[in-house]
Amino acid sequence: MDIKLSGIVIIVGNYGSGKTETAVNLAFNRRAVGIDVAMADLDLVNPYFRTREARQVLFEKGIRLVLPEEKYMDADLPILAPQVAGLIKNPAELTILDAGGDDVGSIVLAALADSLAGRQINLIQVVNPLRPFTETVEGCMRIREEIEYSSKLKITGLVSNANLMDETTPDIIYKGYDLIQEVSERTGIGVEFITAHGDLLPDLDLTRFKTPVLPILRWLVPPWKRQGS
Amino acid sequence: MAKVLMKGNEAIGEAAIRAGCKNYFAYPITPQSEVAEYLAKRMPEVDGVFVQGESEVAVGYMIFGAAGCGERVMTTSSSPGISLMSEALSYIAGARCPAVFVNIMRGGPGLGGILPSQGDYFQATKGGGHGDYRLLVMAPEGVQEAVEMTMKAFNLAEKYRGPVMILGDGLIGQMMEPVEFPENFDTTPTNKDDWATSGMDTRKSDKKNIVKSLFLDPKALNDHNLLLKSNYERMKQEEILYEGYNTDADYKVLIVSYGTMSRVCKTAIDTMKAQGLEIGMIRPQTLFPFPEKAVHEAAVKASCSHVVSIELNMGQMVEDVDRCVKGQRPVTWYGECGGDIPTPEEIIDHVKSLLNN
Repeated sequence: MDIKLSGIVIIVGNYGSGKTETAVNLAFNRRAVGIDVAMADLDLVNPYFRTREARQVLFEKGIRLVLPEEKYMDADLPILAPQVAGLIKNPAELTILDAGGDDVGSIVLAALADSLAGRQINLIQVVNPLRPFTETVEGCMRIREEIEYSSKLKITGLVSNANLMDETTPDIIYKGYDLIQEVSERTGIGVEFITAHGDLLPDLDLTRFKTPVLPILRWLVPPWKRQGS
Repeated sequence: MAKVLMKGNEAIGEAAIRAGCKNYFAYPITPQSEVAEYLAKRMPEVDGVFVQGESEVAVGYMIFGAAGCGERVMTTSSSPGISLMSEALSYIAGARCPAVFVNIMRGGPGLGGILPSQGDYFQATKGGGHGDYRLLVMAPEGVQEAVEMTMKAFNLAEKYRGPVMILGDGLIGQMMEPVEFPENFDTTPTNKDDWATSGMDTRKSDKKNIVKSLFLDPKALNDHNLLLKSNYERMKQEEILYEGYNTDADYKVLIVSYGTMSRVCKTAIDTMKAQGLEIGMIRPQTLFPFPEKAVHEAAVKASCSHVVSIELNMGQMVEDVDRCVKGQRPVTWYGECGGDIPTPEEIIDHVKSLLNN
């Protein structure tokens, strides 16, 4: 099953759910089949491990990237690059906006309301059930409500990014899938895809899933690990 | 409990709760603000208290107040914030009050930057505040160890009746790793009835407990400071922690490194080992008391020709390493002090250059 997403895709979710890793891998996945992909880093709340950390490899793979000016890259200030509004007005075939975590990180979307008005938006909530506050369906729904309130937008799709980093097992992927299915049933919001590290794919029973699986490599890594591992 | 995926800052907050800390006072500063954000949600769930002070100066004295009552209390901050708390740290040490301070270091001096640093080694291990005191300082290399050290810090603070510091760099606070929280941890404050200003109900005598650091009589101050000194000497006997990495091999160079910098060194050591070059490392887990004997013995191993202290600063721990090696091997420093972290490849190049000179 292929991922069908196109147009403007905004990635939201609770803090540390793996939004950026999901966004970067989605960008690579779509670019690999020839789609024109652009990305913007809207994370104004996270000081490290943001899209900008993967900028070199994103450039190399031909993905257009909108970031704050280089001199503000490590500033402890919420800086929204003015080019983001231009990117929304003239989107690529797939334009991914990577927002910050929780309702606080989503506030930036309300600031872009004028640019986003009247556009078809895919607002995707990423969930990792091994993170605090989203271990349960109720927790996921609470985060969804908070994000919708802050962003003034409605979530249109769900993604399970169940992982314990290097210690992820197939059971963890299955558990994440089951949880996101339940969230989907309770909310009526569809599951766009689930993620699984590329090394785990041979161990997974893919027939168990009714959704596409996005293979993940890790691009946002500490300096003692290799990007794309 | 099953493992969960947590950011270092969140895990430190959760660890404090699981260690019985119901009193948390802090002021936001990057890159540690998520501790406050996390505990703002969690403290009410455990009938605990989080108060955001109007400044770090105020927070320091909130900590002093709660600690003086014998309660388990913690603050977290980052470098400039710890500078502001240093006056209170001195008072808390002087008044012999147990408290846990967490410093998730950023670049300095002054406002510096928000990227990882180990520039507060001197501040943590040699003072910071005024007077003749020491902190027990622990330096985790990852999220799991940050959890274990934070929990243990509460017991150690009570054992020695003084402030204990967890010294992590920005990466410790910001990176995510799987963690498991120790079960059956003793969360009851110990020995507070003997000294804390916690009311008279549980006290066996009607003697008032007074918590103070003011001793106008020079002999009384001398005796008080000697009591503090005896505590610090006991720490040196009972609390030194370190890890030896590849120290069983006949290594050519000994690295001394701590915190996340040591993680980069481990990758470099593994790579060099695969190339046939043996390099050892001592990773101090306590920075005070410093593992003096371990560093000395590892440095004078017959195969070892050079010792290098690798740090995210302009060379601070290298002075302690040099003190331990006592001139028996050349000791040098290598590192970065602007926020960038040396890569494993840069470490390898540097270590090889030492062997070629």
